[in-house]
This record gives sequence, C-alpha cells and structure tokens, in this order.
Amino acid sequence: MDTAYLIQFAVSATAVGLMVALAAWATRGRGAPLLDEAAARAWLADEFPGRQIEGLWLADDGRGALARSGEAAFVLSRMGDGYAARQLPWTQALAARPKDGRLTLRLADVAAPRAVLAIAAWPPKALAA
Amino acid sequence: MMKGPIDPVTLATPFFIATVILEIVLARFGKLKARYETSDTAVSLVMGLISSAAGLLTAGASFAAAVWIYQHRLFTIPMTAIWAWVLVFLLEDLTYYWFHRLSHERRIWWAAHVNHHSSQHYNLSTALRQTWTGGVAGTWALWLPLSLLGFPPAMVAIQKGVSLVYQYWIHTEAIGRLPAPIEAVFNTPSHHRVHHARNPRYLDRNYAGILIVWDRMFGSFQPELDEEACRYGLVHNLGTFNIVRVAFHEWIGIAQDIVRQPRHTLGWLFGPPGWSPDGSRDTSAKLKTAWAARRESSPAGRKAA
Repeated sequence: MDTAYLIQFAVSATAVGLMVALAAWATRGRGAPLLDEAAARAWLADEFPGRQIEGLWLADDGRGALARSGEAAFVLSRMGDGYAARQLPWTQALAARPKDGRLTLRLADVAAPRAVLAIAAWPPKALAA
Repeated sequence: MMKGPIDPVTLATPFFIATVILEIVLARFGKLKARYETSDTAVSLVMGLISSAAGLLTAGASFAAAVWIYQHRLFTIPMTAIWAWVLVFLLEDLTYYWFHRLSHERRIWWAAHVNHHSSQHYNLSTALRQTWTGGVAGTWALWLPLSLLGFPPAMVAIQKGVSLVYQYWIHTEAIGRLPAPIEAVFNTPSHHRVHHARNPRYLDRNYAGILIVWDRMFGSFQPELDEEACRYGLVHNLGTFNIVRVAFHEWIGIAQDIVRQPRHTLGWLFGPPGWSPDGSRDTSAKLKTAWAARRESSPAGRKAA
C-alpha cells in the first residue's frame, strides 16, 4: 500500500470526523418526536398497511410502542430520529418480562436483533395469565 | 473499483467533503431542505471510507480480468477519439443500468447493494454510503464486454468513475425538479429520490446512472409524485447502527436461510429479495400488488382511477 494512499485515507478519515461532528452540532436538540397514540398508529399504518391494531402500548418514555394484531405483535423502536418496525409472534411478546423498567424483545433478525422498550409493567393486567 | 490513470472519484473527494459540509450548515440555518442525523451520517461516511479500502482488495483481480479480455478484443478503439468517449459513455451507462437492476432484483447482488439504501435519510452523505462487498459479489464482470469490444480498461474505469461522481449530487432533497428537458433525459435528484423510496409504488424503479432514458426504454421509470412523498430506506428498516451489521446483514441472512433450507439454495441466492419457498415473505412485486389492491378498494383510490 503506497504512502500517497495512506495519506489520502488519513485525510479522508479526518474529514469524516469533522463532518460527523458538524452533523452532531447541526442537529443537537432535534430528536425524533416522541410517540403518542396517534403518531404510533400512523407509523404502524405505514409499516403494516391494512393490518388491524387490536391493542397498543406506548413506551413510558415515548420512544417506542408495542401493538397486537391477531397472533402477531408489532414493535416500533427508536432508530436515530425515526423508528424501525418489526413483527414477532404475539405469544413471544406476551411472554417477555421487563427488567429494570425495560422490556427487551428478541427479534431474530440480524438487521434488528432486539427492541428495547421502556415498558415497566408488562404484560398488562388484563392480559396476564 | 479498478482505477484508471485518472480517477474521477479521488479527484472529486474534496468536492464531496465541501458539499456535505455546505448541505449540513445551510440546512442548519434553514436555507435548504436536508435532514441529517448524527449516527446515520457517521454510518454513511464510514461506510464510504472503508468501501474505498475494501475496493482495493478486488481491484487487482477485476483489472487483470479486464486486461486479459482486452488482449482478445474484437476491435481496437482509440482512447483519443471523441466518438469513442461518446460511445463508452452510452455503453457504460447502459451497463450500469443493468448492473443496478440486477443489484435490486436478485438477492445475492442485493446483499452487496442494500447498504446504499439502508439510511432513512436522503442527503449527500447517503451517496457515500457504499458497499464493502461489491467486489466479491462479482458484478464488475458485467463491464468486461466493453473491454472485449475494444475499449481500453483504463477508459472504462474512467467512465465508471465519471458515472459515480455524477450520481453523487443527485442524492439530495435540496434540489426540486429541474426543467422538463433535463428531467426527460437525465437522472436527477427527483428521479433518484424515487429510487431510494420505500413506498410500494416507488419500489424497484429508476435504476439509471446518468441517463434516465434507459428506465423509460425498459419500463422501470416512475416519476416523483406530489401526492406521494418519498419515505426513504428499506422495506424493513435497520434497527441498529452497528456498522458490521449494516455491511453484512443481508449476507448473513442469506447464509442463515441456506443453512435452514439448503435445498432452496438457488432460490435464496438468485430469487428476488424477499423471496421464500412458501411465499411468506414480501417481495417488491407482492408489496406492489397489495398496495394496488388497497388503493383500488379505497374510495380515494377508486376516485383517482
């Protein structure tokens, strides 16, 4: 590997650091809007069009949501200033137990290995066995 | 990517850096439309940085293949003739169209290309979110027929670089629609926003590099519509900023599928993204069909039709 390439790579890496720092400065204080019920339903309608939402539970910090649709659970978890959505079996979601105020759902997806939601009370009393 | 005596991408790197900085700063002060997010920007730029190094690993093999093919060329095309540059511009752009279409429509090549589409944002940094595995995916072989025709490998490499540099500036929301004659012929920010959108009606459209005419000719053109704003990213957006997962998630997904059902190996590799033996997953075609059915059954959709 020649010296010119290494210098070019080092300069580019420094520039990357600068641009990321600049993006952090430019976007500070501009996180994703927290989810309320209407926003969560709108996200779910986009992600799972045509699917009926039978129950919706918002994360305590507004940074995610869990929904039931038949035998499926839909989860929305914060991803930067947006959200990532995944589906898992409802029985699996129902069986999860919160720890330290967080509900961790394993998603069996290498691109979204788990969703962590600030849901301290789970399952809801009405659904608890 | 193999590099010619002049590498347009290297030459343009200072321009890339300056314009990303400009877009971030002007957006910060509300002077243009652009949405940045720190982790997303970091992933895009580091993907681009490492991509340039990863490309070197296979550059030797791809260049050697091109040189070997060129030694068996059908014609000798001079690098100094203007007509030769016009011809290589057109043929390279046509090759790019089919490379890009294959990269979206066959999962093995989508695995290498998916990284570029994995941001939920669409800004100049997204242009630099490039693959680490393009070389091993072997799509560089699609350009070998140009060397067989008689274009010098260096000439092809330069034109590939020109195309990449051209495609940089179209990754922006800051530019609306350009005058109709330009939109008719060239790939523009508007056309490419559609390409990066995950809305079902926009999926697998506008594969062009420089000339949008290929999409018009081959039936893959979709204009950007005022009534449907682009939503960017993947059908199933990433739930992590872990750069190793960003780079390799589709490759790992393919491997997991093959291990689980080895007798469907060909389907897992060469089926469209979202293909599965039982049809339980979503392909673009399935998503488009479902979208069309919902549209048809909604009162607003029937009215529009």
